[in-house]
Amino acid sequence: MGFGKYVGARVLWAVVVSLIITTVTFLLLAAAPNPAIREAATQAALQGGDPAAAVERERELRGLNQPLYVRYMDFIQSVYTLDWGWSESRSQPVTEALLQALYYTAQYSIPWTILTITLGPLVGVYSAANMYSWRDHVATGFAFFGYAIPNFFFGIILLLIFGVWFEWIPISYDTSVPVFSLENVRQLIMPVFVLVTGSIGATMRVSRNESAEFQNSDFMKTAKAKGVSPLRAYAYHVMRPTLVPLSTTLVGQLLALFIGSSLLVEVVFGIPGLGRLTFNALVSQDTNLVLGSTLVFTFVAVVGNLLEDLVFTVLDPRINYDDR
Amino acid sequence: MLGVGGAAALAGCSGGDGGGGSDGNGTNETDGDDGGDTNTDMSTYSTAVSASFTTLNPIYNDENGAGNAIARALDQGYTFDEENRYVPLLYDMSTEDGEVWTFEIREGLQFSEPYGEVTASDFVYLIQEIHQGGWASSVSATYWTGVEVEQTGEYEFQATLESPQLLWPESFEPLLYPIPQELLEPYVTEEDQEGLRQDEELLELQFSGNLGPYVLDEWQRDGGTQYSRNDDYYLQDADDLSDAFNEAPYFEGAEIQVLGEQASRLGALETGEVDQAAIPPERVQEYQDKDGIYVNQVPQPYNEKLSVNMRDNGWTTGPGNMFRHKPFRQAMATAIDKQSLIQGVFRDFAETHFTWQPRFSNFYPPEEDIPQFGVGDRYGSEVARDLAEEAFEQSEYDYSFDGETMVDPDGNQVQLSLYHSAGQETEQLMGEFIAQELGNNLGIDVSIEAIDGTRFDTEYYTTTDFPTPERNEDGEVTSVPDELVDTVNGEEVEWTSPTATNPGPRNITGNEDWDMEIVYGLNTFPRNPLTNAVFFDGATGSYNPVGYYPEFDAQTLFDNARQASSEEELADALVELFANLAEEQPYIMLAFPDSTVGYREGLEGPIENFSNGWNLPAWRYE
Repeated sequence: MGFGKYVGARVLWAVVVSLIITTVTFLLLAAAPNPAIREAATQAALQGGDPAAAVERERELRGLNQPLYVRYMDFIQSVYTLDWGWSESRSQPVTEALLQALYYTAQYSIPWTILTITLGPLVGVYSAANMYSWRDHVATGFAFFGYAIPNFFFGIILLLIFGVWFEWIPISYDTSVPVFSLENVRQLIMPVFVLVTGSIGATMRVSRNESAEFQNSDFMKTAKAKGVSPLRAYAYHVMRPTLVPLSTTLVGQLLALFIGSSLLVEVVFGIPGLGRLTFNALVSQDTNLVLGSTLVFTFVAVVGNLLEDLVFTVLDPRINYDDR
Repeated sequence: MLGVGGAAALAGCSGGDGGGGSDGNGTNETDGDDGGDTNTDMSTYSTAVSASFTTLNPIYNDENGAGNAIARALDQGYTFDEENRYVPLLYDMSTEDGEVWTFEIREGLQFSEPYGEVTASDFVYLIQEIHQGGWASSVSATYWTGVEVEQTGEYEFQATLESPQLLWPESFEPLLYPIPQELLEPYVTEEDQEGLRQDEELLELQFSGNLGPYVLDEWQRDGGTQYSRNDDYYLQDADDLSDAFNEAPYFEGAEIQVLGEQASRLGALETGEVDQAAIPPERVQEYQDKDGIYVNQVPQPYNEKLSVNMRDNGWTTGPGNMFRHKPFRQAMATAIDKQSLIQGVFRDFAETHFTWQPRFSNFYPPEEDIPQFGVGDRYGSEVARDLAEEAFEQSEYDYSFDGETMVDPDGNQVQLSLYHSAGQETEQLMGEFIAQELGNNLGIDVSIEAIDGTRFDTEYYTTTDFPTPERNEDGEVTSVPDELVDTVNGEEVEWTSPTATNPGPRNITGNEDWDMEIVYGLNTFPRNPLTNAVFFDGATGSYNPVGYYPEFDAQTLFDNARQASSEEELADALVELFANLAEEQPYIMLAFPDSTVGYREGLEGPIENFSNGWNLPAWRYE
């Protein structure tokens, strides 16, 4: 199989995976009680009406009296035409809610991701090159500190020091400042710092250990013997093979952080992003919005895995797809 | 005031952030601060809240926080000042007999174009077609059931109640938002509830004209709301209000920010970046000592109480639910030291709670009329055990004390569960204190369980799985299933309108078992205590998750209060009611925590009174 076919097959598989996840989500939703129906019954009872009739009316209104397969087809059609319904907990269309939240999440997650995937391996390779020196210990200590300290706690401490004591950064997040402005940098610098220190540790340690293996390899010795500069030698002969195994862990780790850490960091710094949206949707039983955010994360995971596989071939020419 | 969600409208999670007056746990934040290390901009009045808003559609909002966000841009009919006097905003209300009420609309109220002037027909249309229409499920629908409304002039309409209610305005039931008739008409014609809920003009308050102190510029979901000053605010020209409103509001803009983390809210208050924030009781002293901040202690009508489950899914320790016996509930109230609870958990920022009214209520019974369980002679192990033994004698099961320990008929120690909201530190502390007191003074082994409030509500506290009576085409009940009939105090009682919060007699329960909870605090409605009928108007009151059957004639007392033709008659009936409730302890009443709010120095307006915030547009810096 050539590269083109492989990509085609993987994309097709990604569609199948997303369909399976969507179907499972639908079945779970169909089995769960609908809060809107409960509300209708309560309202009818309070007004001296008939709760049973109100429930029936509500079911009809929401199409819940239709057979399961009809509802399933409607559901699938809505999902793939981006008609994701109305978010009851935010009073706006689900797609609009997700886009709005993504807009704020992206403002810190893009710099965070870029810094993590560039700084992590760099510090790791630097550490490996200076293994067991004081520089290595400082870098390792820094990585472990960031990894060990809970993000929300670190965020609060930093807010206290730089926001309350020194008053260098604002405490509350202002949504009205322009994206590319100094004010936005001021208010996002701490969230990004907290997230980078939280995620860089694992990347840095993996790349340190991986590159330690390559820096004594035959091709590295050859490069040194040929007089290649250390920078070039490390960049081409250590960093590149190091990134291959690293890329398998990166996507998963970053996704996990995307959901978990970003919620707590968003809560501490008051950023109205995707983490808080998902959490609030879950807590308030906003089924449409829960579904919408599930689909977003599904999409990100499927595309992330796809990209990861494709990146292998770029990083390591020895990997090919002829025999797959 | 019972809204859509029943429990949601009546009950708030206790031990929360508190807050001040109409503003919850507000903080204030500077706007457009583009540099510099200090935030001393006082041109924007912005508050911060801990939770975002579900909707700003005035017809469907039932949240306090969103109500405050709407109030920045849209006034309601009236309010009450610090003396508890009626203050007309959009309309004045008057009555001679409490049955026929005349609403006089203030002239000069304008919607945004193209809707023109606010007239009586807008309100009448809203009431008749939306609240009474039967299709819209508006939050106020229940308040207008059975009320006849008639327009009597361009700026006047009348409402005739089924029975007189002298305290109708105090119930807040006749409180209306101004909504343009033309905006509503298309939805009314189509009976399109979904469309009405999702209408952008309603959600963004685009029709608000001169009807609020500010104009809503943006609602950023999860972020908050931003407003700019309404230069045409109608109260500037009102000659029946104090001069303070002549130039109101005194800020160029307003903002409500959602800051979920308490540390962030307090930090912002400390830096002067915000100028109002709720302070948790344990940190009040610290903030009182800080420069540039002052802390107000605002009494509240929301209580802290221990619910004891008298339904069949309660008293899980053995046979015969002891909570159903009045002396046992009294024993529990006697076993918990209210003063220590207030000192230890609420740091003295709370009042003792003996009956279903706070002390500042005009209907609080004379002290000598109510038993004060949990203080003085009525606190302690001995007196609690005596009452418990009285309850044992009433029970058909053989409960007793084995030394210090309360034991069931099999000789095992009585073990009960106590649920509190997960993550609420004050509540957890209170739970631990209650467990300790019940252990020390009654020999009960109490286990404390943390639970999410929503889960507790849906799985334990309420149920939607209940039988319903049969009705004819007119909606009248024709027959009631046997499951909805029970004998209460020797009389047969039918549950003709079961709700999720009172699904029927004690044998109809939520899915899961529970013994005691402190997840919810309830409103005691001091302005119009008649509203408490939802809790205590007999066994069938619409909010009775605990399955309480009053042992006194509560219904007659409520009826007397409803039919009272003078304030004295009303007070007599209500005082007797509250004396009985103090005796019966339908919920084990513990404390009324004050709201403790920190403000930025120089802010004029906040008062240490339940009405705090009534004149918010007139607040300003010196």
